[in-house]
Amino acid sequence: MTDKMQNSNPPHPSLFKATFAIVKKDLSAELRSFELVSAMLVFSLLVIIIFNFALELDVKVRQSVTAGVLWTTFAFAGTLGLNRSMSAEKDRGCMDGLLLAPVDRSAIYFGKAISNLAFMLLVEVIVLPIYSVLYNVNLFRWDLIGIILLGSIGYVAVGTLLSAMSVQTRTREVLLPILLFPVAIPVLLAAVKASNGILAGADFAEILTPLNILIVYDVVFIAVAFMVFDFVVEE
Amino acid sequence: MTPDTSTYMIAGFVVSFVTIGIYIASLYIRSLNLQRDIETLKSLQDEKK
Amino acid sequence: MQPKPIALKILDVVSIFALAISTYLALFFAPTELVMGQVQRVFYFHIGTAWVGMLGFVIAALSGVAYLVTKDMRWDRFEVAAVEVSTMFFFLTIVLGSIWARPAWNTWWTWDPRLTTAAVTELIYIAYFMLRQGIDDPEKRARFGAVYTLLGGVSAPITFMVIRLFRTIHPVIVGAANANQEKMSMTGDMKIAFFFALFAFTVIFIDLIWHRIRLGSLQDQVEQMKLHLSM
Repeated sequence: MTDKMQNSNPPHPSLFKATFAIVKKDLSAELRSFELVSAMLVFSLLVIIIFNFALELDVKVRQSVTAGVLWTTFAFAGTLGLNRSMSAEKDRGCMDGLLLAPVDRSAIYFGKAISNLAFMLLVEVIVLPIYSVLYNVNLFRWDLIGIILLGSIGYVAVGTLLSAMSVQTRTREVLLPILLFPVAIPVLLAAVKASNGILAGADFAEILTPLNILIVYDVVFIAVAFMVFDFVVEE
Repeated sequence: MTPDTSTYMIAGFVVSFVTIGIYIASLYIRSLNLQRDIETLKSLQDEKK
Repeated sequence: MQPKPIALKILDVVSIFALAISTYLALFFAPTELVMGQVQRVFYFHIGTAWVGMLGFVIAALSGVAYLVTKDMRWDRFEVAAVEVSTMFFFLTIVLGSIWARPAWNTWWTWDPRLTTAAVTELIYIAYFMLRQGIDDPEKRARFGAVYTLLGGVSAPITFMVIRLFRTIHPVIVGAANANQEKMSMTGDMKIAFFFALFAFTVIFIDLIWHRIRLGSLQDQVEQMKLHLSM
């Protein structure tokens, strides 16, 4: 990969610059229309409303299921965003353009992953206060936001890789959740467990194990996705 | 006292053999179909020539 | 198709005998377990299938890596064979576990680490086949399949670790046991049946994989002939 880059002419932008360019492209496209974030956001609110009636979220139940409801919502909204962002590249032919560009393929992965993460975090940042108001629980806590950040990183790290695969299949959008959920179960479970602990006011020692698993998952899957992304976009 | 759980045991062994049997049958049927495909394709190839 | 190699014929016969002997050992040779009764005899097959199911998962992930490195289609056929055969065995493990759990724990299913990880693993296997089905180009199919088995192979142990945080009622057979878990004690005859079941299912596993690889090369042959004809 790297020697390919060094041999050719003219000099290529660094991995960091190329990644940043892709992120900028995605964000500015999104800022113009907000079609992806608004779809994710409305979808999240609908999921929360459905949960409200499905689980009869009264005061007692709420405490124990808040973390679960939040993460289910984030996971569903996340697949929506991941699918959309990757199939937009594919449909408009941008993917071919990106692949032809003289940049390291990992820049495409990191670029897409970072913009996907930005969309997911944006949705989460809006959902949290709305949820807090609707159910009268304070979710704006730094420790909870940290867990949400770690969980989203892991989810997006795998999701970006798998969405790059699923858009190239015949079944496309349908396939992403089927591929992603069984592989993402550890990160979702650990995130739910850690969030639950924080909301229940548990000691730091109790949250430490799921927190460690979150960090391990993030590191391992970013590394694996980085290594195999080349094989996924290769033509 | 040891409970009588022989029904479950019989069910377990029946399920085991049936599942493995179905799998082997599926392997066999698939390979028969493929061999038939190969025959058809071969005759098609000859016609083409 | 190439004629069946003699080694495979021998392996077929050995497998049938191994399965027969293992069944005999489980049903008649091993003593009846006092707490659970007859149903405990299912356990020998349960462990045997679970062992090859996990073995297949590891083998599939490794041959996925081997494929990505070498780009040799034989590794892909090996990987598909390992996944398919272990899907079948893992399904058996889960069903047998359920059948055992019903009289032992009075429930068909508990969300215990092993059961849940087994179910998640089975879902990863199924997702793997759905992924492959959606791709026409054999080379791309092999590449994506290899990447997915690799991801699954990394994620399954982490799933197990996470669910382990919750309590378990599954008896620990091999390895470190927690103080609060019930331990199953095996007498000598049980151990013979136990280890023979492990051996028998390993032999059957190898035999089935071999057959599946042969089927895979037939499939490739048909695909190539079709491609050749359409040109």
